[in-house]
Amino acid sequence: MSFSVLVCDDSNMARKQVLRSLPEQLSANAQLAKNGQEAVELLRSQQFDILFLDLTMPVLDGLGVLQTLKDENITPAIFVISADIQPEMQNKVLELGAKAFMRKPVQLDILNTNLKNHGFL
Amino acid sequence: MSELNLNEDQQDCLQEIINVAMGQASDQLARFLDTFVYLKVPSIEQVSTLSLIETLSNNENSAAVVSQGFFGYEGIRGEALLVYKPKDSDRLADLLGYEPDELSVEEQIIDLSSILTTTFLNVFAKQIDNQMSYSAPRLLAGSQSAVSDHLAQQSFNWDLALKVKITYQVTDYSFNCDMILFIPELAINNIKAVIDRILEEF
Repeated sequence: MSFSVLVCDDSNMARKQVLRSLPEQLSANAQLAKNGQEAVELLRSQQFDILFLDLTMPVLDGLGVLQTLKDENITPAIFVISADIQPEMQNKVLELGAKAFMRKPVQLDILNTNLKNHGFL
Repeated sequence: MSELNLNEDQQDCLQEIINVAMGQASDQLARFLDTFVYLKVPSIEQVSTLSLIETLSNNENSAAVVSQGFFGYEGIRGEALLVYKPKDSDRLADLLGYEPDELSVEEQIIDLSSILTTTFLNVFAKQIDNQMSYSAPRLLAGSQSAVSDHLAQQSFNWDLALKVKITYQVTDYSFNCDMILFIPELAINNIKAVIDRILEEF
């Protein structure tokens, strides 16, 4: 079974870090977005199973993406990967429907555990 | 004068390392103030020491500046300045909300600055496989002469500096401070070498 993946982060390095940490079957056809607005536009036009989402970004930030997707009833499984590790922020993203919060830089084992927990591995 | 001359990948890598460091520093700030801190993408620019001191002098009789030296392995060292606008340092005192007799506003600003600086630099250092120690933080008057005198006392030449503009917005209050890292040429070259090493792994 294959899943479609979107990675949204304003940093090229951070996007690569996520791709490198993903198993081949998930990274092979992953698409990339450089900010929240790009991600929302892709999510409106195509169906994605998984969204990896940064929070602190220009144009439209991660909270804005979460709120937009909620309002428009677009429902990929969202995993937030962020440097903003404040407990209140972690609660906020979970309330807005994210499946899990992971701190940057993303750790391979934590990423895989989260993917397993939600049935993607 | 030596230039940083970071290419796009190096700049991106440095930005991401700084993002992670800033995130953890903000988390410490939020815990310390028992509030929520709204983060923005930090801007990084290279500035000449001369132009920086001129900028500070334009805000004469204004900003509070807290300075703290840092020392790591492999010649990575420098001086971190946290620069507050006067309006913001007043707000900061309100926000910290110590009892009047407990600590002076100056001591509170030093405390807060030290939390931000050391958390930021510890996380920064960890990501480039380094480890920092620190000198005691000092509050300088925000005038041009106080800052330039202080920098002149340091044992290395400050031809250029890395200025990381970090804006912390606290839920109810908003204050801004700039974190400015003065890093001598040798240290900058070492940081670039480490960044290249990280990038090679990609």
